[in-house]
Amino acid sequence: MYAALWKVLPGPAWLRIIMLVILLAAVVYCLFTWVYPWISDTFVSGDPSIEN
Amino acid sequence: MRHARDKQSDALTIFLGVLGELMITVGLLIGGYIVWNVWWDSNQSAAVAAQDVKEFYQSVEAAPAQEGEVVTKGDPPVIDPVPHGETFGVLIVPKWYGITNNTMPLKEGTTPDVLDLAAAGHYVGTAMPGEVGNFSVAGHRRSHGNSFRRIDILEKGDQVIVETKDTWYIYEVTGHEIVLPTQTEVIAPVPDKPGEIPTQRLLTMTTCHSVRVGEWGNDHRWVTHAKLVGWMDRSEGMPEQVLNDPGVK
Repeated sequence: MYAALWKVLPGPAWLRIIMLVILLAAVVYCLFTWVYPWISDTFVSGDPSIEN
Repeated sequence: MRHARDKQSDALTIFLGVLGELMITVGLLIGGYIVWNVWWDSNQSAAVAAQDVKEFYQSVEAAPAQEGEVVTKGDPPVIDPVPHGETFGVLIVPKWYGITNNTMPLKEGTTPDVLDLAAAGHYVGTAMPGEVGNFSVAGHRRSHGNSFRRIDILEKGDQVIVETKDTWYIYEVTGHEIVLPTQTEVIAPVPDKPGEIPTQRLLTMTTCHSVRVGEWGNDHRWVTHAKLVGWMDRSEGMPEQVLNDPGVK
């Protein structure tokens, strides 16, 4: 899986590493901005209040 | 025959390899969620709360940084209820100085749009600060700013201070109970005795608690009760314990 990603990327090893770092940063950004808040709101009940 | 077995084991190797990588990925995603929850999102919420508190202080006269006189006789001034989401004061738990984000905005309402801003949310319909009855607030435990995270270290006699536009209200913890999320009687005007006519000026804080995983769970509620021991005009100064705030001195 990750080996295939490495093969698909063009250029020398150092360029591939830079691309992977950028890709990782983009993935983390998407997770923190949209995915995790959505999971938190949708699935995780953190309601600290008392109610019927 | 031998050739076929090799092919089979190749397929198995690839399958196991992909499965392993998927499991590592899922692990990283879950780890990422925890990092987001306890660090990133909590910092974001706490920053919003700090800004809300700053704006509240800009809208009121500053209290002089000197010890004021605590009044214990008579009736304290009481403010009128405010609209949903409005900041009407600040909640301070002196024991939490240096431990958690402590100076919390007090806002009207206990819905997520209020509480997720790392605020202490006032239960609509319960007493206002200083009023006879049970001034009740909710706050998050281990998410969205960790407002009431260390409610477990509060002991009998510890102060909980409410600051409104003109007044400091000083409450002292009387005890706590761990209840189910549906036990609304803990925020009744007389706690645990719904329907009774209140005579005391009380404060109740509710937050998440789990009997199995403590601050990480949500199956129960940690409920801490306190009673009013005095109040002070903000123009007089500050309560002694607020002067211990590392940000005041």
